[in-house]
Amino acid sequence: MTTRTRYFVITSLLVLAVGLGTGLVAFYVGLPVVGGGSSNPSELDYVPRTAAVVAYAEVREIMVSDVRQRIRRVVPIPEDGQRAFKEQTGIDIESDIDHVVASLEPQADGKTAGLVLARGRFNEATIETLMRQHGAEVEEYQGKRVMIRTSPSGTAGETFALSFIEPGLIAIGNPPMVRTAIDLQKTGENVRMNSELMGLLGSIDAGQAWVVGRVDALQSGRSLPAGIAERLPAITWFSVSGQVDSQVSGTVRADTRDEQAANDLRDVVRGFLALAKLQAGSRPEMQAMVQSLELGGTGNSVALSFSIPGEVFDTLPSRQQ
Amino acid sequence: MTARDAGPKPGVVASALRIFDLSFGQMLWSRRSIFLALVVGGPIVLGAGLRLAEASRVMFTFDAPRPAGALIYGVMIWLIYVRFLVPVLGAFYGTSLIADEVDDKTLTYLFTRPIRRSAVILGKYLAYLVCTVLLLLPSVVVVFFLVVPIGRGRTVGEMFPVLLTDLGMLALGLAAYGALFAFIGARLKRPLLVGLLFALGWEPAVGMAPGYLKRLTVAYYLQALVRHDMPQPEFRPAAALLQAFREVPSVGVGLLGLSVIIGAGLWLAAQATEHREYVLEQ
Repeated sequence: MTTRTRYFVITSLLVLAVGLGTGLVAFYVGLPVVGGGSSNPSELDYVPRTAAVVAYAEVREIMVSDVRQRIRRVVPIPEDGQRAFKEQTGIDIESDIDHVVASLEPQADGKTAGLVLARGRFNEATIETLMRQHGAEVEEYQGKRVMIRTSPSGTAGETFALSFIEPGLIAIGNPPMVRTAIDLQKTGENVRMNSELMGLLGSIDAGQAWVVGRVDALQSGRSLPAGIAERLPAITWFSVSGQVDSQVSGTVRADTRDEQAANDLRDVVRGFLALAKLQAGSRPEMQAMVQSLELGGTGNSVALSFSIPGEVFDTLPSRQQ
Repeated sequence: MTARDAGPKPGVVASALRIFDLSFGQMLWSRRSIFLALVVGGPIVLGAGLRLAEASRVMFTFDAPRPAGALIYGVMIWLIYVRFLVPVLGAFYGTSLIADEVDDKTLTYLFTRPIRRSAVILGKYLAYLVCTVLLLLPSVVVVFFLVVPIGRGRTVGEMFPVLLTDLGMLALGLAAYGALFAFIGARLKRPLLVGLLFALGWEPAVGMAPGYLKRLTVAYYLQALVRHDMPQPEFRPAAALLQAFREVPSVGVGLLGLSVIIGAGLWLAAQATEHREYVLEQ
């Protein structure tokens, strides 16, 4: 074997060895992505394969964003719900949670069950004590403590469960959904196996918040109001992704059953855009926002991108006055 | 006393390894390899281009959904590697194992050695396999790391088992095509033409047709080991037609079929080399 042949063999084997070694490390401990889109949140491991809608939000970053501070100054957001949640669970949404993954899954009875997976800093003892004080019962399920808070009226829809499924990760939802999330740790039959939904998720831009979902599943699950459901017959999938910092920017995309439906939808959106431009003509502060609206998409896909400057929120009618 | 009377003939395996040692360097630095290295580099250039487009946001605008990297990688494995590069590498190298020696009129030097003729083809087949595996598999690994992180589909870690399967599947494909084309090269005149007709004509045509003829292709058994969804054409009737005629065997049948092709191909190639009278045209 000549020297150059030996060099070729060594180089080739080196590329293979480095590649396989890196892949092995990524397989076991994960690998930060360089120069590409960000990877999916690890909480998807607990979302059922049959989920119709999956959403993600970087709560902490959104809470401290410039846009949110502007909105809070102009329109103080009622915090009754947040406060009630904190009183019942001990979790402060503003400071304790880093990001959340939420999902909706159609049920056999036609309703939709939700699951929220929140990653952050939680004091397990305090949360359990507070929930017990508010009438929650604690059960052991697959080695995890599940706290179930039944509503005083006894309606199933108001009963929710909370479980610490990993250090720093809580699952909140109706009790069967939380138990399913715990089961998924072992079965692995999670939403990552849903190639259609994961394909759509992979196609959207990285952002601080996103939602992807199957409209037909929501329609069959009667999750949408009848008026809206009737007007969305041709949309199969939808996605929204956005970024909230000194402005709010993002893209709304809808995939339709066929090209004709997509063209019809584009016509409708064009009509709304024309109307918005007409309205914005008399309001200079809205013109930048309306100008940023851009309709696009090819084939079965319709996309609308937008960018709302932070200054627009300063012009909202103040509720403090 | 002639060389043949000098001592006992070495075994087939030892002889094949000696031929492998002689042939590997020649095969690797032939003009054919330089050309095929450029072809194999094509997917890497494509992957790098996609990655740059992703990073600079030149290509993926909001106008069209951005495809997930894992999906692009799957399509590249199907269309570039399984459907094109593996059969073409097999055809170019496999058919030339004996044919090149005939064309260069150097076959006599090999056949007058005190070794079995079948050891010549086996050693050259081994050189082909090592050469093509060392050319193709690093290309797949580089493409994997360039393309999979695009978008926000499955991550490198999640796709790693698929990469391992792909590498094994492609190596098996090279072995199967190589064995078949080694037989064609040892048995027929103008083997490259026949090989390319088989790889780029017969296999795609029969693969889309209904019936049992597709079982007479290597691709039928190879596709059982591919873990990516088969790409669908945009043209809906064509997609429906493909769906109707698609028949993917089980992994067991695929492995068995490829093993039979490798075994039978090599045995037939060895038999053809042992018994055929090669005429070196002056």
